[in-house]
Amino acid sequence: MAVKVLILEDNPVARSFLCRVVRESFSDTLAITEAGDLESARKQINLTGGAQGLHGVDPFKLILVDLELPDGNGMELLAELSQYPATKIVTTLYSDDDHLFPALQCGADGYLLKEDRFEVLVEELQKIVRGQPPLSPAIARRLLTHFRDGGRPELRSADSGFSRPVELASSRPVPIEKPADHERLTPRESEVLTYLSKGFTIKEIASLMGIKWFTVNDHIKSIYKKLNVSSRAEAAVLATKQGLV
Amino acid sequence: MPIARPAGVTAPSGYGDSSTLTTDSSLGFDSAAPDASLSAGASDGVSRGLASGRWLGWRRRALMVLALLGCVGLFALLRYLAGTHYIDVNWRVSSTGQIELLSSGDAQLRQRAGQYLRGLETADGHMLPAQTLASRPSPRWIVDDEERAQQIVLEAQLAAAMEQPSVRLHFDGVAPIDIKPVPRGYAGLGAPFWLLTALALVLYLIGAVVVLVRPDERNLLYGLIALCQTTNLLLIALESLQGFGLPLGIGEVNSLVRLGCDVITGAAILHAISVHPRQVPHRKVIAGFGWALALAFVGAAALGGASNLWWWTQVLLLTYGIVCTAVLTWSYRLLPHPFSIVLRRIGLLLAGTLGLLTIAIGLAGREPGVQQTIASIGPVIWYVFFASAVMLIPFLSRSQQVMREFTLLAGVSTVATSLDLLFVAVFALGQFTSLTLALFVALGVYAGTRQWILNQLMGSNMLTTERMFESLYRAAREIESAGSSGAEHLSKLLGELFEPLEVTHSPRTVPASRVVGDGSTLMVPVPQLPGIDTGAAPRGSLVLRFARRGRRLFTREDARLTDRVLDQLARAIAFDRAVEQGRNEERARIAQDLHDDIGARLLTLMYKAQSPEMEDYVRHTLQDLKTLTRGLAASSHRLSHASAEWKADISQRLHAAHCELHWSFDIEREVNLSVVQWSALTRMLRELINNVIVHANASRVDVTGRYERGRFTLTVGDDGVGRDPQGWSHGLGLGGIRKRVKLLGGEVRWRDNVPRGVVCEIRVPELVERQER
Repeated sequence: MAVKVLILEDNPVARSFLCRVVRESFSDTLAITEAGDLESARKQINLTGGAQGLHGVDPFKLILVDLELPDGNGMELLAELSQYPATKIVTTLYSDDDHLFPALQCGADGYLLKEDRFEVLVEELQKIVRGQPPLSPAIARRLLTHFRDGGRPELRSADSGFSRPVELASSRPVPIEKPADHERLTPRESEVLTYLSKGFTIKEIASLMGIKWFTVNDHIKSIYKKLNVSSRAEAAVLATKQGLV
Repeated sequence: MPIARPAGVTAPSGYGDSSTLTTDSSLGFDSAAPDASLSAGASDGVSRGLASGRWLGWRRRALMVLALLGCVGLFALLRYLAGTHYIDVNWRVSSTGQIELLSSGDAQLRQRAGQYLRGLETADGHMLPAQTLASRPSPRWIVDDEERAQQIVLEAQLAAAMEQPSVRLHFDGVAPIDIKPVPRGYAGLGAPFWLLTALALVLYLIGAVVVLVRPDERNLLYGLIALCQTTNLLLIALESLQGFGLPLGIGEVNSLVRLGCDVITGAAILHAISVHPRQVPHRKVIAGFGWALALAFVGAAALGGASNLWWWTQVLLLTYGIVCTAVLTWSYRLLPHPFSIVLRRIGLLLAGTLGLLTIAIGLAGREPGVQQTIASIGPVIWYVFFASAVMLIPFLSRSQQVMREFTLLAGVSTVATSLDLLFVAVFALGQFTSLTLALFVALGVYAGTRQWILNQLMGSNMLTTERMFESLYRAAREIESAGSSGAEHLSKLLGELFEPLEVTHSPRTVPASRVVGDGSTLMVPVPQLPGIDTGAAPRGSLVLRFARRGRRLFTREDARLTDRVLDQLARAIAFDRAVEQGRNEERARIAQDLHDDIGARLLTLMYKAQSPEMEDYVRHTLQDLKTLTRGLAASSHRLSHASAEWKADISQRLHAAHCELHWSFDIEREVNLSVVQWSALTRMLRELINNVIVHANASRVDVTGRYERGRFTLTVGDDGVGRDPQGWSHGLGLGGIRKRVKLLGGEVRWRDNVPRGVVCEIRVPELVERQER
């Protein structure tokens, strides 16, 4: 049975490029579904059992989502698909973490930069599907701040990408009580994040901390899980910030 | 001028105005905290007082009772005076010293107009000389003891004569006529009398208000001073009654009462300044000494034991003046309260004019006749001067323009009359000459010293407007760039404005700037400046004490000015912020448009590229575009963060090119890169790595960065096939690097690497934080 893949991308040229990348990456028989906007993507997902990923239906195994779409932001779909049992990857032109960090919080398993070389993209995609989440130093910094401040994303990060000054100035609602399910990072996880934010690669971190590289990877995966857990509690806040509701 | 209007003798208007005065002046003299601590207590008292009706209630009632008492007493006096008998005459002292009759309300006397009056014969045959009657000096200000006794007897005789049915007036060369003294009536009191009683009433009311607002030691002393001077003014008013004839019994007590009032005033002032503005050590000794001296002197005078009484009185008063000045100087040393300085200046002016007057009258007293009118007017003017100064003191920090001018004029008039007397006495000048000369000198003094005195006394001189604007906008800039430390910059700005001795922060919040502690202290609310997130932190207020290093009092104008300055500051900051925000928004919009539109097109172009070279070229263009747009959107980057991203980016790219990266970055101190610096470094590094990947065919790349003491060094070395970099033609990439290094103010050079490859070394001697504006 073919592995089902959904590619949500409005630019036809980019879409066919991504198709090539996906076909190159995996040896399985692939059934690639392409969608040009959120509406048709939702339709396709509903055909396969809806956003909750009902049992007994054959769901998509891999979903590539572009952020800027004609009828909205790809993050809307990511938020809807938080329970969907697929590997969700953001493919975008935005490399700044003001776009990527929220995407991670929405449950994205990784992100790909569309302008990267074909081979690089293939390699990255394989890594993500194998369970190696990508972490740029900037993202690591954001994660550190996120967990240190108890779920409040840093307001004035040093490189704040495209976030508007208006948003910086306006006072955002902050939950008075800490979410009950908000998890803290273990010291090891914080250490990993700190090294990551200083630009060290996973291999370097492993040798610095004297552990195996897959242990580092496990820490990163655990951080991701915690991020998603904590982000659910403040999903409402985020949705407001991202203009989703 | 709210102070002058209560002069209306009618009780209701006097009461109405005084009640507003109660609330007003509670910030003035009377509410000052006597100790050095912040006068918060005082203003607390005020706010508490204003809050509770009872506090105000009994004071208002008491004030009403006192005002009514004063008015009723005055009215009774007026009624009594209107009933006393007098002879209605106006005269002029001729150049020969004779008394020339000018006009009279009496029909008989009117016919004698123009004739010289010789004297007045009482029914029991006493002859009262006309010259003494006409000059009618105040017994208090007669230098000679004997003369004074005579004058007192004379006044008693005159008063007795007025009770008789008729008196006989003798004229030079004409037959005497019998005149019947008539009741004075209200119209017969004369303009000077009315003015002086009005002044006395005002002084009385001010004294009452001050005492009632806060009945403590200082204010009771002030009340006593005010009461003494009220009495003095009333007695002077009595002496100024026109025509012949005095109320019975006034003459005998007049001299002693006035002397007593003067001496008690002196002692009270000494006592008051020993406790305010600062309690000086041994104040009980000082005050006790003052009072003992005063009581002993008054006792001696009352028993008639003293000779040369006038001289002794004057010497005693001047001594009080000198001691007061000394005590104030001492007090200022202990606590640089500007009130001490102002008081000392006023005291020096008063004592100085008194000394001048004393000398003038003492010298002129030996000259017979001509200047007696002036000699009797001089002290009157001095008393008016003194009374107005006393009235001024509670309102020093509220800068009552009119009162200030009035005081100044009274002071200058005293100087003028004293000088007039002195010229006559010392230089034997003619009456007209000396008067003219004295007037000119006095006017000169007035014009010359007015500005100086005003500046020194209350101080209206501020920073020049330009400097103020400069400070204002600099403060706005600083607050805007520094973020939350608004109060700190504000205190600096206010410090430049007022040069206070100390600026502290108080947690109390006041609604607007206000002057407390009788002008020693200005409380300025820390404003909620736009865009500065003070959060839940209490704003509180800034407390400025002792303006101009303790030489100047804060006035209400200062408080208003401060409010306006704060207002302008907030506006300037809001404006700056709006501009900055607009700039940021515009930059972000441009960046977003560039990124979204051009980026998408480049991406399409890249996918459709005919050759790998073309694809790479477009990819680099796209990456440059992204760097550019990110630089536009963000305002600053930390060096450590930037280096981490460089490393992540470079390692990814080198990994794809199967090239090993050796990375070492050493940052001594964190530094914020400006957008220009960040994008220049980012693009140079990318260009260098690109060159390595495309041309060098290297297997290993060494990147080292070092930032120490503001100096930044970056080297990129490879082990590729490149050799002899000096001979390279300057392609677009290398030219771009040179240009960017130049932009950063640094230098770049290439050299051969050992054992193979090339090294590029970039040095930026001053990679400092620059204000991005």
